[in-house]
Amino acid sequence: MKSKERIQYLLSLGVSILIALAIGALLMLVSGHDPVQGYRSLIEGAGFIGPRKAQAIGNTLYKSAQLIITGLATAVASSAGVFNVGGEGQMYLGALGSCYLATLLVGVSPWIAMPLCFLAAVLCGSVYAFIPAVMKVKLNINEVISTIMLNSVAIFFCAYMAKGPLKTTERGITAGTQRISSVFQFDRIIFSNSDVLSERLRMKSNLTTSVIWIALITLLIWYLMSHTTLGYRMNLSGQNSRFARFIGIRADWLGIVGMLISGAMCGALGMFENFALHSRFNPEFSNEIYFDGMLVAMIMRYRPLGIILMSFFFGALKTGAVSMQQDIPSELILIVQSVVIFLMAAQEGIVARLRVKHARKHPSIAKEVG
Amino acid sequence: MAGDMFHLVFTPGTFLNMFNSATVVILAGLGCLLTDQAGMMNIGLDGIMVSGAFTAAIVSWLSGSWIVGLLCAVCVGMLFGLFYGLMVIRWKSDEFIIGVAFNIFAVALTTFLLRSIDGQKGSFHPATGFVDRIPALHLGVIGDTPINISIMVPLAIVLVILCQILMYRTPFGFWLHASGEHADALRSVGRSPDMMKYLGSLGCGLFCGLSGAYLSLGYLSTFQENMTDAKGFVAVACVIFGRSNPVLVFLAALLFGFIDAAATRLQDYLNPTLTATFPYIGTVLMMLVIALARVIRKKKAAS
Repeated sequence: MKSKERIQYLLSLGVSILIALAIGALLMLVSGHDPVQGYRSLIEGAGFIGPRKAQAIGNTLYKSAQLIITGLATAVASSAGVFNVGGEGQMYLGALGSCYLATLLVGVSPWIAMPLCFLAAVLCGSVYAFIPAVMKVKLNINEVISTIMLNSVAIFFCAYMAKGPLKTTERGITAGTQRISSVFQFDRIIFSNSDVLSERLRMKSNLTTSVIWIALITLLIWYLMSHTTLGYRMNLSGQNSRFARFIGIRADWLGIVGMLISGAMCGALGMFENFALHSRFNPEFSNEIYFDGMLVAMIMRYRPLGIILMSFFFGALKTGAVSMQQDIPSELILIVQSVVIFLMAAQEGIVARLRVKHARKHPSIAKEVG
Repeated sequence: MAGDMFHLVFTPGTFLNMFNSATVVILAGLGCLLTDQAGMMNIGLDGIMVSGAFTAAIVSWLSGSWIVGLLCAVCVGMLFGLFYGLMVIRWKSDEFIIGVAFNIFAVALTTFLLRSIDGQKGSFHPATGFVDRIPALHLGVIGDTPINISIMVPLAIVLVILCQILMYRTPFGFWLHASGEHADALRSVGRSPDMMKYLGSLGCGLFCGLSGAYLSLGYLSTFQENMTDAKGFVAVACVIFGRSNPVLVFLAALLFGFIDAAATRLQDYLNPTLTATFPYIGTVLMMLVIALARVIRKKKAAS
């Protein structure tokens, strides 16, 4: 992107987000909440102010990490021309596969077991992404529909396994696999509130050591997408598959590779979620985690660096919204996100229309606009 | 065992449920094929349906009349259709991105509003008053199963026939189809392709609004969060399967309805969580079959 275009893009993004937040405020007002109070409690929940600052910052960082992984997963597949809406299902299968393996590997050294579990999660996720990818590339079956269908299949299947064949023998747990041995679990990272020493407020955040794994994956994918020939070729074949084929790039093959990477990332996230926060496979672990990240990726147009940066913003919003849920449903943030997408899409169209009109009035510059 | 299964599945009740369940998909499918014929596949059906379902339930509760609820749902659906048209036709946005964003937006908005109005999670259960349902026809008794069918079921069948006539026997259908594939030809006879696309998009909103109203006032008796269960996507799959021909889409939707009803019946034998996957697996298989058939046909034509 040229720098002038980039500035224009960032400017319109900023304005869109402001308008979307204003619409959010309007919604709060209509539904009988005080918007100022609402956004205040949101900022507090995200960890910028308030007594639970440390815990909230941890939660925000973890949510951001989640968004980065899911956003990049969307972007990898989309850059190669396949729109992966099925990350949710891939995540569930990755989670179930790795948790089940972990229960089999009791007593094995974590140095051996953890990589094996990770491999299982990655395999489950990518195998499940392989099905719609092949159907798309070889048979031209719309991947949006097939991945949505496969999401439902995976979620119901995992719920069945966790309530039926793989159900824990522990009492009091209605759905879930056996508890994962504590040496396999990711430890929570504790921020201590230096100003508040009372035990009650020093609650642990959701941030666990899994964030190190996530950071490594993020670096790897960012490097892959923006600094390797594979990433470049994927991008090229996603933008113009006919041209890519013309210069000898196997666009269909790259589409499948993109989906495999995407599915692997989702599977890995499924493992992190359950190993870190639920200590077993919990069939209700995800509240549509993948779709949050997918929206971030769509807003940032699948650009890796943009997704990583924007994830922190929406991570803070989302965390803040969840903690203020008593008064205001956290769906508000999904609304804000989708409104940003609508506004950005409309803005692009309006600018293009204005350019065409302008060019018609001044034929001399028509060539420039094209 | 196999014989048992056969008798278990092929009962009057199953066929009744087949029609009840298929009607949701039929109505949404009619909407989707209007946009598909105009060359822009709307995959945001779920979003429009869930908005329609929400509007229908709330308005029916407020007004005490299902007709008002249904009409309002249709209006909201058409509003969404207009919005979709603006985004995709006027501002040339990517139809898939808009469709996906539509679904997330509508589910989030209805959930947000429900929790704000009702103060509770899950589904709409008003403390006072009731949600007026779409009346059902009593068609007598077969065996010991009373046959009650919502009036939306025969209406949907009538609409399929009307759509078939509209698509293949009137200039409107011809123009609509041309607006997608031969826009210049349409322009040359003095018709605006964009106008036809807008009409297609509005029609899509109308049918999806109807489908949503049936969902919350007929198929079930109140609104639930995210109650479409991806049935809008099933409708898109049916449209692809039926190549946008209303009657073929209707048959595909019946097939889905049958799998859905049979899966419900099989709950006595199999785990209900497991049988819940059947309709979705069936839909994927349906798309696979039609794609394979297309490939084989192409190969035959080539050889």
